[in-house]
Amino acid sequence: MNSSSKVRRESGALWLLFALPALLVYAAFMAVPVINSMRLSFFSGSGYTLDNFVGFNNYLRLFADPEISARFFKAFGNTWVFFGINMLVQNTIGLLFALILSGKGFKGKGAFRTIIFIPVTLSVLVTGYIWKLILNPQWGALNIILTKVGLGAWAMPWLGDPRFALTAITLVSSWQWVGLPTMMFLAGLERIPEELFEAAQIDGAGGWLTFARVKLPLLLPVVGIVSVLTFVGNFNAFDVVFAMEGANGPPSYATDLMGTFFYRTGIAGQHPVGIPDMGLGAAVATVTFAVLFAGVLLANRLMNGREAQGAEPMARPAAEGRLRA
Amino acid sequence: MRPPSMIRDPMKPFKYLLLSLWSLLVFFPLWTMVVNSFKFKNDIYLDPFGLPKAINLLGYKTVFENSPFPRYFLNSLLVTVASLALILLFGSLAAYGCVRWKSRYSKWIYLFFVAGLTVPIKIGSVNLLQIMIKLGLLDRTISVIPVYVAMGLPIAVFTLYEFIKGIPGELTEAALIDGAGPLKIYSSIIVSLIRPALATVAIFNLVPIWNDLWFPLIFIRQDSQRTLILGVTRLFGEYQTDWSKILAVLSLSCVPVIILYLTMAKQFIEGLTSGAVKG
Amino acid sequence: MKNGKFLKATALVLALAAFCALAASAQAKVQLTMGSWRADDVTQMTKLLGAFNQKYPNIEVKFDPTNPPDYNAALRLQLQSGIGPDLMYARSYDTGVQLFKDGFFADVTSLPGLKKVYSDLARAPWADDKGNSFAVPFCAVSHGVYYNVDLFKKLGIAVPQTWEDFLAACKKIQDAGVTPVANGLADQWDINEVVMMNILPNFIGGAEGRLAYEAGKAKFNDAKIVAAFQAMKQLAPFCPKGFEALTYNDSNALFVNQKAAMYFDGSWTMASFTDMKFAWSVFAPPPPKGKKGFVTFHPDSGIAMNAKTKYPNECKTFLQWLYSDEAAAIVSNSIPTGFFPIASNAAKITDAHADAFLQMSKSHPTDVRFVWPKLMSGKPSGYNLLNDGVIAVMTGKQTPQAAADDLQNGLAQWYAPAK
Repeated sequence: MNSSSKVRRESGALWLLFALPALLVYAAFMAVPVINSMRLSFFSGSGYTLDNFVGFNNYLRLFADPEISARFFKAFGNTWVFFGINMLVQNTIGLLFALILSGKGFKGKGAFRTIIFIPVTLSVLVTGYIWKLILNPQWGALNIILTKVGLGAWAMPWLGDPRFALTAITLVSSWQWVGLPTMMFLAGLERIPEELFEAAQIDGAGGWLTFARVKLPLLLPVVGIVSVLTFVGNFNAFDVVFAMEGANGPPSYATDLMGTFFYRTGIAGQHPVGIPDMGLGAAVATVTFAVLFAGVLLANRLMNGREAQGAEPMARPAAEGRLRA
Repeated sequence: MRPPSMIRDPMKPFKYLLLSLWSLLVFFPLWTMVVNSFKFKNDIYLDPFGLPKAINLLGYKTVFENSPFPRYFLNSLLVTVASLALILLFGSLAAYGCVRWKSRYSKWIYLFFVAGLTVPIKIGSVNLLQIMIKLGLLDRTISVIPVYVAMGLPIAVFTLYEFIKGIPGELTEAALIDGAGPLKIYSSIIVSLIRPALATVAIFNLVPIWNDLWFPLIFIRQDSQRTLILGVTRLFGEYQTDWSKILAVLSLSCVPVIILYLTMAKQFIEGLTSGAVKG
Repeated sequence: MKNGKFLKATALVLALAAFCALAASAQAKVQLTMGSWRADDVTQMTKLLGAFNQKYPNIEVKFDPTNPPDYNAALRLQLQSGIGPDLMYARSYDTGVQLFKDGFFADVTSLPGLKKVYSDLARAPWADDKGNSFAVPFCAVSHGVYYNVDLFKKLGIAVPQTWEDFLAACKKIQDAGVTPVANGLADQWDINEVVMMNILPNFIGGAEGRLAYEAGKAKFNDAKIVAAFQAMKQLAPFCPKGFEALTYNDSNALFVNQKAAMYFDGSWTMASFTDMKFAWSVFAPPPPKGKKGFVTFHPDSGIAMNAKTKYPNECKTFLQWLYSDEAAAIVSNSIPTGFFPIASNAAKITDAHADAFLQMSKSHPTDVRFVWPKLMSGKPSGYNLLNDGVIAVMTGKQTPQAAADDLQNGLAQWYAPAK
């Protein structure tokens, strides 16, 4: 009795005090800046002070100014392609690896797991620079190998041809991050009760049928989480383009993503003069946020259609996405 | 019934082939990086993936002698350690407070933190830049620390909240009867009980903070204040590039994380992916 | 008692002296920082600044470069937040003028002797339209075509005098199985600054031609500009395989490793041509038949002082020293190879290759890079329009006429004389 009344007395102010340091830092350096950046998208000014309210003018320029909107829609479209290829390549390979590794008694699982995951721990900048060297048209390993095996005609200037450049950097991104979906699918597969497989095998279902009838349906929530994770990560991608192509997204803006476009408009300014347009940058950030929000909301709907759940089930994957941000 | 492992799998050789090929694909860039870092400038162009004909240690020498890289390394270390320490301290305090405070306010506070999980902090860059200017932190290594702490808190609160909620009441009840205050209970009981969860949170934040380019890039210019990853971008001078030197620096910049990862691969993989499938 | 007093007084005096010494040393030792985009020049600049420090032991200047693509943006951010370096490299023309107009660069017009050492023409790139200087002119760079002398001899090729000769030489080199021209497109800026703007004066008639465009007397899509784009198109098949993805450094390596016979670049690149295994030299970009040849001799860097520096006097001391007669020899010898001092009292260049380069700009009329003086800072920038056009033409995405039209239409959006 004594103790519980003590707990009640200590409630309120005291517990708030516990949460206070975290609340302050989190509010001051995350919540407020994010909201404020959206507010700033309605302002213009010189350099880093934005004090002139311009209504929707920044958005108008973003969507209607011929110069700016061309760049914006190009980057927006590229980001969707980036996301699409990543979904197709990175997550399919991840699922395949997880299926193989989850096989009963598969030897070497630990070692392969460790290897597949290595690139996740490396800096995108570092892997980007190295892949750039490998893809070099003159002395890059890829074209040398292609030429040696008689496919010299396929040796392309991968990063310099608008047809291939975006695909090339996307594949490098897939290479880097494939460890995440692999491990998430693996964890999902390992949670499927043994009896379900056994039942399927007694029914005479082969590998493919077991996959389609038993594994895939049970993995669907993980598929959803992986998709959201990829989505959030891809709409924030910057480093891979910065390292492999530069902040302009060359050749002819073929690899310009929302991340690089934001950097050029809002932070660095366009080379060579370099005067940033921070109000416009804030508008780009706000649009990115809106797209992310809509996407996450949609995924949440699809995944939790049956039972109305709060933010929590979606929370974790979004945090995973931070890894790539 | 036969155990599944006894069932013959005709696909097995292909599975091993596929995984081995992928492993090659993982190691090849790393091989390229390390091997070429020992070559002479022009040998890299003539033979980009063979073993070096003559060992050139100049790349590594320039990193250690009269170069800013040790400084960059220390800056990165400072940023990572300080950010992680603050994330763990503030995060666990807040999670503990939210669990123990039985009121709808605490639920709101908790949800406020959790909402941050869906928002990438880069969105706020424009305002963060202005804040750093106002605080006079621009162009200082420490400017990135509060940002990383804010970025890491949602996941910390989320993970630790669940963990603390799972601690049986009896464990703290006894201490309460002994007259220990909440702070005492936190420091003597809770912290030791949530150690595994703290490790998960630390690993989860370690990799993105160590490898982050964005915030150093937009906040820091001055040489002495750069982090390692930002310092790496400086290697590409305006007019010339010495790949052996660059690759030496790139190799060295990976070493800390690779060592940590290889010694604790299991914890890393679990830390970075566990719970993701909880929902 | 007396002794006691004496001791006390001595102690007091000593303490005071110590305090003064401390205060003096704290006060007199000033460290200035110098911002720059020349990350490659740390060694040479440290030498130069060391020489200054010997003359003025109390002022130490620390060289603190950023990598070039980030310099302009980072500098502006720093200056705006009041933490810019005390001294800094200033870009010539518009980019620099903008910072001056925004009040970040101090006016240095009245520095004693400045006008004596630098003619109005030499000061102009770092002065506003009223003639006020915002930086002390420091270095210029020149542009040309490097070539492998041994290879030219072997193939019996003479230095081309006309653009037509040049293309014929390219053909001959290519037939011999060597890449004629090392340049590529991946880094974007180089094809623009060291190839297009290198040959452009030959097609438009140098400074006089440029002024006609700037004054609105000629359209940016006239036959001359189209011809220059056409020349870039002719160049493309002689560039290396995969040139679309070759970076600036790749091009350099191709030339150095004798995989390419010629290389369009600026004079600064000489500094990287150490232990070359073949004889090399440089020629001026050849003009089309019947036209006059020009060399692009471009004012590259000036040194400005922060308008809000805590140490204005020390900064001025440095700037004055920089162009003083006694420092001229030191400056000439310690600025990196391939950069040319602008001061009228500059000493003779000792490096033979560098001197050859310099002589080239003396035997030819010169002009600056086409877009720098007027066309840089509007939206869309003439720099970007030209860059995008050159790349589109060389990759076959645009005809030379279409690229020139885009240049004209883009500039007409903001540059009044182009309308």
